[in-house]
Amino acid sequence: MRKQTKNNQKEPLFASFRVVFLIVLVALVGLLLLASLLGGRFGTPHQLTLDFMGPLQSAVTRSVSGIATLKNDYIALWNVRAENKRLRLLVDKYLTELGEYREGYSNYLHFEELLAFKEKLYFQPLAARVVGKEPAFWYQTIVVDLGRKDDVLEGMIALAPAGVVGQVIHTSEHYSKILLANAPSSAIDAMIQKNRIRGILKGVGEKGFVLHYVLKNADVEVGDEIVTAGIGGVFPAGIPLGYVSKVYKKRRGMFQEIEVAPHVDFQKLEFVLIDPTDRRQILDSMDLSTKR
Amino acid sequence: MMVLVFWLLGVSLIVLQTTLLQYLPMWLGRPDFIFIFVAFVAYRFAWIPGLFLVFTLGWILDVVAGIQLGIYPLMCLVTLTGLKLVTNKSPIKETTYQIPLLGGSYFLVQMFMYFVCSLSSPDMLPAWSWGEPLQRTVLVMIAAIPLFLICNTLYVYLQRRQLRGKLPRRRRNTLF
Repeated sequence: MRKQTKNNQKEPLFASFRVVFLIVLVALVGLLLLASLLGGRFGTPHQLTLDFMGPLQSAVTRSVSGIATLKNDYIALWNVRAENKRLRLLVDKYLTELGEYREGYSNYLHFEELLAFKEKLYFQPLAARVVGKEPAFWYQTIVVDLGRKDDVLEGMIALAPAGVVGQVIHTSEHYSKILLANAPSSAIDAMIQKNRIRGILKGVGEKGFVLHYVLKNADVEVGDEIVTAGIGGVFPAGIPLGYVSKVYKKRRGMFQEIEVAPHVDFQKLEFVLIDPTDRRQILDSMDLSTKR
Repeated sequence: MMVLVFWLLGVSLIVLQTTLLQYLPMWLGRPDFIFIFVAFVAYRFAWIPGLFLVFTLGWILDVVAGIQLGIYPLMCLVTLTGLKLVTNKSPIKETTYQIPLLGGSYFLVQMFMYFVCSLSSPDMLPAWSWGEPLQRTVLVMIAAIPLFLICNTLYVYLQRRQLRGKLPRRRRNTLF
């Protein structure tokens, strides 16, 4: 009972305190409001408030700016990636084009060389493109895109600007097969250009040629030019074949063994020039044909 | 505790309003979160804490964003007083009416503030148009739904904690 009375006494006291507090608060608010509205001066309380709010706003603005920068960077990264992809494609395309241009330029130089050689020739050669190569080691043949239809006959000789390529051995309507000069089955009458000493140049495949039947006392040195001798009616005289790369003089025997490196790079043949002279007919007329 | 938490929430809203919302595109609009918050305070808080919250937040907003000092606290106080007087012991206080009442009060406050500003500095004001205040009112009413939900959840949570703290604690080992 006593407690309840005490509480009842407290309540009006608390209520009156609240009313007083409210009045004070309203007065304070009113005062500040009036001071702000009528005074219009940015006083100390305003400055303190601004100092309090400034860091908060700054933190949020910086965070937002940071996030925005991050987002922009990320988007930029996407763009960079796409750009990179596009540029890589472009680079690939241009590299391919560059390769084509290089190839074109290389072909141009090669054709220029061929043309110069063709103009020097005493006959009008047939230019043939090499379309195939014999993969076997011992045959050493190539296939060209000219045949009987183009007046290519068996026995005709094939040349390159650097020298002798070989001889046509088989022909079809549109294609011909040429036995390369370095084939083991090939033998050409040759001579050392400087002193006209003759011998038989035999093919030894990829190693080039070996010049046989040159006497030991013959003056042969590394680097000497070897050309066709013109004997036998197959190859005219003076066509380059190669140069002496090694000279062996054995104790026994009459002859020295001479290795000859070909001028023509048989691995890189793309075009050959075929001499349209019918060698077989010449041989027949000379009665030197192999048919005999 | 309740007042402090809501005061901090109000300050955060001011910071949000004056920083983050400025990055939003213009066509999206920038709802007045402070007004919504003032309305919530008017609905939920008593006079003394309500006055304290509303005036201090209005003051801060005035310092941070106001050109003519005193306008924002005045606006907040007018809103608080108006809403409190209208909703005091009235069914309008119910949740159903809260948002429409907020919209109506926002529109009226805009008109009132325009009137006050036209008295103090008429040269600085553009011509009155009905469209823009109406648009802003709709935006405030839409934004008020989630903000009211958040504030209400926080209010209820804090109130429960307060009540739990006031309940007499059961002592252990008192029976034996």
